[in-house]
Amino acid sequence: MFELVNELRSGAEELKKRTHNPISLTAGCELFIAFVTLFPHQSDSFSDLKTELVAQGQKYASEAISYRHKIAELMLGFIKDDSVILTHSYSRVVMKALLHAHQTKRISVYVTEARPRGHGIKTHEALTAAGIPCTVVLDSAVAYVMDKVDFVLVGSEAVVESGGLINAVGSNQMAIIARAANKPFYALAESYKFHRLFPLSQYDLPTHSTNILSFPPIPPKSQDTSGVSPGSQAPLHNGNTASKGKIGKHAERLMSLEQVALNPEVDYTRPDLISLVFSDVGILTPEAISQYLVAMFAG
Amino acid sequence: MSPGSHGASSSQRSVETLVAKLRRRQVVGSRETALETVLVLRQVVSKARFSNITQLVTLIRSVGKRLVEAQPKGAPIFECAPSLHAISLPYLEEYNTASKGTAAASTKPVYSISTFVLQGQPRKHTIGAQKSEATITLKEDDPDDPDSFARALKPVFMEAIQDVLDELETVYDNISKNAKDHIHSDEIILTIGNSKTVESFLKGAGHYRNFTVIVAETGPSYGGHEMAQSLSSAGISTFLVPDSSIYAIMSRVNKVIIGAHAILANGGMFAITGSLLAATAARVHSTPVVVCAGQFKLTPLWNLYHDYGALDFADPSSVLGFEEGSLVDKVDVLNPYYDYVGPELVDVFITNDGDHPPSSVYRLIKEAYDDEDYEL
Repeated sequence: MFELVNELRSGAEELKKRTHNPISLTAGCELFIAFVTLFPHQSDSFSDLKTELVAQGQKYASEAISYRHKIAELMLGFIKDDSVILTHSYSRVVMKALLHAHQTKRISVYVTEARPRGHGIKTHEALTAAGIPCTVVLDSAVAYVMDKVDFVLVGSEAVVESGGLINAVGSNQMAIIARAANKPFYALAESYKFHRLFPLSQYDLPTHSTNILSFPPIPPKSQDTSGVSPGSQAPLHNGNTASKGKIGKHAERLMSLEQVALNPEVDYTRPDLISLVFSDVGILTPEAISQYLVAMFAG
Repeated sequence: MSPGSHGASSSQRSVETLVAKLRRRQVVGSRETALETVLVLRQVVSKARFSNITQLVTLIRSVGKRLVEAQPKGAPIFECAPSLHAISLPYLEEYNTASKGTAAASTKPVYSISTFVLQGQPRKHTIGAQKSEATITLKEDDPDDPDSFARALKPVFMEAIQDVLDELETVYDNISKNAKDHIHSDEIILTIGNSKTVESFLKGAGHYRNFTVIVAETGPSYGGHEMAQSLSSAGISTFLVPDSSIYAIMSRVNKVIIGAHAILANGGMFAITGSLLAATAARVHSTPVVVCAGQFKLTPLWNLYHDYGALDFADPSSVLGFEEGSLVDKVDVLNPYYDYVGPELVDVFITNDGDHPPSSVYRLIKEAYDDEDYEL
């Protein structure tokens, strides 16, 4: 048994290494490992237990597909006719909820571009194809658009024990602005995204590394500086990096790949900024998340 | 509901009577409604003929639907839905315990990942819970004696209903029991409306402490007048103030204590008009807002439609009477009866089952309601 858990752990480790963004993966792996350790079995032999566990895993995987629909169903009651919704980046569960709502209600959607990956464009394409009025807004225009929206709807990478949310970078600022404008901020999360983690700040996330937001060395002055002193600028907005030549003239205003690499992909939203979390186990206040997590993992 | 209806015309009649009373607003207030509903349901169950649990549940559901539809404007489901749910759950619980003896052998608890997520770690007693609780042997749909099922179960249900009734009757006592822990000597309390719960809470504290109550008169229903009268006759020093001065006096107030009409799953609540004003003013001065309410006021609804929080409207003549004839046809007069007070404005709910912050209301509701019961 102990060996099996060890096997699972190293398997999970391996998976994590291969993926770009391990947070939601970790949540899922930990759920299964916790289940395996605590599974009350009456199997006589280990191979029986093994088949049983595999079957349970497959059963859950097939059930899990339906969770998004369940969440969309729960969400429906909160979407009024003629709602204007702001969403962020691309999330499958949010798409499901929006498309489901579109069948019975008139909704229109603002979606942020979600730099640097630009997943907002994907959302826009899908929604427009479904006939939902949709406009892409700049990530920096969230505050501008906030007064026009009824509520904010985001998906999640993971929901953590504090009740906070880990999601594509930009969610946090969106939540802060929503709070300032007194608009509800709803997060959608399937229950396998509940993650036993208690980040106190952005920099406690497992995705954070010393590299992120670090200051790169200043390039020697002798090369082609365009008159701007690089030292006086924040490195993220610094136009003169060594890679300038690669990007080409028209894209001069975009960040270089090196610059993007210094930026986080996900951020952490404090629980007090989240109105409700919609999950397949029900509609939860952020506080409720910890109750579920403790029930699963504590002790 | 075939076998239930024909044998029970008198209980049908009692349902209709309650429906009519609700329509005419002869029964107002959530406790009254809850009490009446439970009484009617008791009658329905005692008269009903059923040979399996599904028939009974359908019967209760149909009565519930009937009552909900009877609500003025059909919209505020919450008025009697809570009590209905409250009973239908004990039914099922009792049924489950009663039928365990027969069913236990066949149904081994299935434990999958989704139940793990839902219920957490398996506890010892859930696994080996095949207790021999079967005191009565039950047989559904017995062709020889179709009434045997009902005969066996009815006493159990009656007991469950009686429990609910008892709980409703002792609500005020239980809430005011701890009043002295919440109100301290020489405090100044602001209240609004004429809530029986708040009244008994304040009176309960009045036995132990000297404090001052400021009652907002709560126009246009002016329930505050009665409240002030009742409190001062109980020997509590009481001031009656107009609603418009709530903000001005808030700086001197130590605590705001208000009643609720219904508490929603998100921790928000519907309360008499003016509550939102008082709660918002309290927030500005960081004055604690305490809500006293019986547990039967919990509803499994979220803040749906809270934009129309004032869905229930009262008689506009108390705002603009016909003596102002020249004005009446020139203006629209609205007299909303309830305010929606959001969870962020409430500090604590004092119920007959302990004190709870708004953020854990959902848990109370989860304990009290079945998932399928959400939609009646």
